[in-house]
Amino acid sequence: MPQLVPNLLRQEVARLAEQDARIDGRERFEGRDFTLETDCLYNAEGSAKVTMGKTVVYAGVKFEIRTPWPDRPAEGSLMCGAELRPVAHRKYEPGPPSPQSIELGRVVDRGIRESGCIDMNSLCIIPGEKVWGVMIDIHVLSDGGNIFDACGLAAIAALRTAVVPAERFDVGEDYTLPVNGTPIMASFTRVGGRYIYDPCEEEELGGDERIHITIGDEGHLHSLQKGLRGVFTPAEFAEIFKVAQNKCAELRKVVAEKEAN
Amino acid sequence: MGGYGDVQLLREDGLRLDGRKVDEMRPVSIQAGILPAADGSAMVTHGLNVAVAAVYGPMEAHPRKIQRQDRAVIDVRYNMAPFSTSDRIRPGFNRRSREISKVTAESLESVVLVERYPRAKIRVEIEILAAEAGTRCAGITAASVALADAGIPMRDMIVGVASGKIEGTVVLDLDKAEDNYGQADLPVGILPNTGEIAFLQMDGDLSPEEYDLAMEYNFKAAGEIHEIMVDALKARYEESEN
Repeated sequence: MPQLVPNLLRQEVARLAEQDARIDGRERFEGRDFTLETDCLYNAEGSAKVTMGKTVVYAGVKFEIRTPWPDRPAEGSLMCGAELRPVAHRKYEPGPPSPQSIELGRVVDRGIRESGCIDMNSLCIIPGEKVWGVMIDIHVLSDGGNIFDACGLAAIAALRTAVVPAERFDVGEDYTLPVNGTPIMASFTRVGGRYIYDPCEEEELGGDERIHITIGDEGHLHSLQKGLRGVFTPAEFAEIFKVAQNKCAELRKVVAEKEAN
Repeated sequence: MGGYGDVQLLREDGLRLDGRKVDEMRPVSIQAGILPAADGSAMVTHGLNVAVAAVYGPMEAHPRKIQRQDRAVIDVRYNMAPFSTSDRIRPGFNRRSREISKVTAESLESVVLVERYPRAKIRVEIEILAAEAGTRCAGITAASVALADAGIPMRDMIVGVASGKIEGTVVLDLDKAEDNYGQADLPVGILPNTGEIAFLQMDGDLSPEEYDLAMEYNFKAAGEIHEIMVDALKARYEESEN
């Protein structure tokens, strides 16, 4: 079902923006309350549930044994996919993966892959014969805005709790998957002419383009994505990049605290 | 059903491998209203199974050819998450999930007052997040609570329960091993207030007497689960009052 053009909503968020206010009362760079639960799905080798405002997302990690690519005989593989199934919102329809869900999965995938937190060589069982394929599946159950950050957080949190099921595949003892780093995504949407952090559903509907920034432990960029119609200036990016650095560091701390408990 | 009696499923003391009595159900817990984007939702944890249901609508039914002039259509999708089973499932529909979706939709159409919403569609999305035998029943229970949570008028809710047979003994609520190596499985959807049955499937081998006993167990369990469903819905309203 096509979304009706939310003209009144656009006007309202633009009016609020003039007073530097947001529709749900947050500060410009204030995130919504969120929860993170790990190890919450029985059959997944690693799992996490993230809620951010009205957004609910699960991620589950599964392993399979596959033959390595001929040109990389000692490297395993990592794949991250997202599904935007009709359960998540009335706007999603059944059918083959939509361009949005493919974009979502690939942006999360790049952030994790390019951060180098998984050493592909550590996924080798027998060079040239057997390597682990790691699959992170993200399941969005409720889209209440900014599913990108929720998915990114769920994916890395699930990956960091994953246990390689070596016993079940008869290739040794189970062990915790080595993950060296916690890449975190921070997303911004232009609402009423300026960027805000962590858009809610109304802000996405009444806003313009979005920018997703994934930052690793050392503060380096690992993935960037601009989505939807709109343009931005280097100065605007510099401003949100600074905010993203802080937000990602905060979230990384939460993931670490969760693991320490 | 799997191998006939080649795996021991009953212990010497007559209890099952997980320590349950023959007529004992796995623990069930239910939460209503867990998905903010949906009009109604529920999560059912039944043993190690986790089923989530979301309801959207009633809404316009399209394409128009699916509309019914005199009633609403119920569009059910039962889907297992890729990480819900021991081996990853490739995303997308398969024959099993299509069949379960179809019979679940038909069961729900027998309790929802569909004649109140001519030409409309009610979408019911069932997502299985963890599977350990009995997901279709957990899905039906979750769908019923989600429909009630969405405020959609119904004659009764449907409780999904199953009994089966292991080593020649009728037992309530098969777990994974019992489902794989047992001799029969009888999942039903029971209307707890009227005592009617809206969902019925069976496979394996049951004598008429065994069928009667399995049904007796199912009705007993349905009463217990129904109380948990009602409590979940009540808790939802107590929550919203605060």
